[in-house]
Amino acid sequence: MSDDKQPDLARREFLQGSAGAAAGLAVAPGVMLYGPAASAKPIDEAASSEVRWGMLIDANKCASDCDACVRACNTEHGLGDEDQSGPRQQTQYIRKVELRNKATGASHSLPMMCQHCETPPCADVCPTGASFKRADGIVLVDRHICIGCRYCMMACPYKARSFVHESLEDQEPYTPRGKGCVESCTLCVHRIDLGGIPACAEACGAEGNGAILFGDLNDPNSAIAQAVAEQATTEVRADLGLNVGVRYQGI
Amino acid sequence: MKRLSDLLRSLPALLALAVFAAPAAAGDGDSGLRPDIPEPLRGDSCVEETEDMRRNHMDYLKGHRDQVMHQGIRTKKYSLKECLGCHVPTEDEARRAGRSEGEHFCQNCHEYAGVELDCFQCHNTRPQEPRLPHPLTPRNRQTMQDAGNPATAELLNKLADSDKNETGVAQ
Repeated sequence: MSDDKQPDLARREFLQGSAGAAAGLAVAPGVMLYGPAASAKPIDEAASSEVRWGMLIDANKCASDCDACVRACNTEHGLGDEDQSGPRQQTQYIRKVELRNKATGASHSLPMMCQHCETPPCADVCPTGASFKRADGIVLVDRHICIGCRYCMMACPYKARSFVHESLEDQEPYTPRGKGCVESCTLCVHRIDLGGIPACAEACGAEGNGAILFGDLNDPNSAIAQAVAEQATTEVRADLGLNVGVRYQGI
Repeated sequence: MKRLSDLLRSLPALLALAVFAAPAAAGDGDSGLRPDIPEPLRGDSCVEETEDMRRNHMDYLKGHRDQVMHQGIRTKKYSLKECLGCHVPTEDEARRAGRSEGEHFCQNCHEYAGVELDCFQCHNTRPQEPRLPHPLTPRNRQTMQDAGNPATAELLNKLADSDKNETGVAQ
């Protein structure tokens, strides 16, 4: 048996080696793909499972006193207009979290939102199929079939979801929101489908500290895939084995 | 006893309804019996024939909504946003045209037909900015064909293919 295996291993190593060399060549001429490595899919084509959208957030770059991502998100999706709801009820797609290591006193700031799990617990528990994962890895709520039971809010280990408690008006055209439905970060899917990047990543690059890198984790030429392959990155609650799409550095 | 008191309490309202509603209905023919549907602001025809839209708009919208939501196919032909773009004025336009708050193409008809309309519990009732007429209305399509420009014809073929697939068309 071991004799049979040897040639296969050698062949695999050879293939891996040549693939790596090819990738290296592609990068060598100094063509770096930054930011929206995303090429827009044709508008009448379905999202493809060959793509996996993700984010890499560098907590070392993220400043405690900056909330550019949160503001951009609220503006993009028209959040924060629930005047009958308390602060604990109001919708948050993304929020800033301060972490402090009690032993060392080291403190970090980072944005926390839906982590777009590969195996999302919210979708597992959803009784109607309203919580689902799109082919390209984006986890969404289909409000047309959400009955507002809030099982998904219980199931989410990241507290990423919010429930709308009151009737709303003047919603943003790409983010319809209404009373009785659960909602969460959509990774700005309406922008991604048109070749853009999420509002938080854009704002972090423009007025923040460039801590959020967005791209296709499945594309070996994308900046995010290369960063994830080369540097140590962390999943929050990696113990759950959810293989999240949003990864962190420096925590 | 309770029922009787309820009835008595609602009596003034019923009387008022009878007094005010009767002349309106009897006044000028049957106009009081028809829904008050505002004219579209722009475009000279819809994306399908009017008869077809009257009967099937809900199916077109539902099919499109599922495609957008679950597959990210963001074509515009049967998009609710595009409907509103032609049929409902933006806030500014409504103010300039002196249209009242309550006038809404979808809502007025649904109210009349007694069909509950859930779209606007979440979707905005008004477009945010004025839109151009839809390029795929039959008359616009004819205009493009008449132009006879090769580039236009090429575009038209592309559009027509997508049209056949019922995926609608990108603008």
